Amino acid sequence: MSETEAAPRALAAGFGRLIVLVYVVFAVSAGARALFQVATKFGEAPVSFTLSAIAALIYLVAAIAIIRGAGGLALLAVGVELAGVVAVGALSFAVPHWFPEPSVWSHFGSGYGYVPLVLPVAGLAYLLKRRKA
Amino acid sequence: MIDWLYLAVQAAALAMSAWFFVDTARSQLVARRHFVGVAVLELLLLVQLAVSVAIVPGEAGGGKALFFSYLVTTILVPVAASFWGSIDRSRWGIGTVAASGLIVAALMLRIHQIWELQIHV
Repeated sequence: MSETEAAPRALAAGFGRLIVLVYVVFAVSAGARALFQVATKFGEAPVSFTLSAIAALIYLVAAIAIIRGAGGLALLAVGVELAGVVAVGALSFAVPHWFPEPSVWSHFGSGYGYVPLVLPVAGLAYLLKRRKA
Repeated sequence: MIDWLYLAVQAAALAMSAWFFVDTARSQLVARRHFVGVAVLELLLLVQLAVSVAIVPGEAGGGKALFFSYLVTTILVPVAASFWGSIDRSRWGIGTVAASGLIVAALMLRIHQIWELQIHV
């Protein structure tokens, strides 16, 4: 298929489609988990649960931005996500008593097979490559 | 949960994922044979749901709502991924469905955990 003749490819096409699937799954799982935890035991670990909710929101924004082709917003959301997982990951080792319950991003996402750490890196690589193309 | 059924679901999810990732590498588009693969996984998941409906309510522990919300989500993931992936005209159409097999495996791991720690106590 010739690249020059093809219509501009949607941001959510190709590898972007896999990225969107994973973002939606993480938005749903982190969001549902945060809602459940906030509703049943918010007092036990408010920092973890609030962070899970924020993470869910960022996953959702990233997924919607990619689906709608909003490259700038997608880059912003994925950038914030990467900063978040690195900062929270480091903090959860440095100040463990802030995180008595795990959140999506604590310990660099080890509870989720480190996907939360790999996902923003893959997302950034994809978005930057598409921006150049 | 019945151990052999749980292991069969895990094996089917991982096998489907591996098969579809091979087809991703071979730049295959989503085709009828892939839907048959997804259907086999879905069938096993529905058997898992039926068995769970039969045995989970009789168990002692809590966490049953959590268990079933995870299981229903797990059943929906490959279906959603098949719709979302099959409209793609590149290799990543089937790549997306392949990823859903890994997501099912991860969710089933969590469901088994909930069963062991919170329900079958």
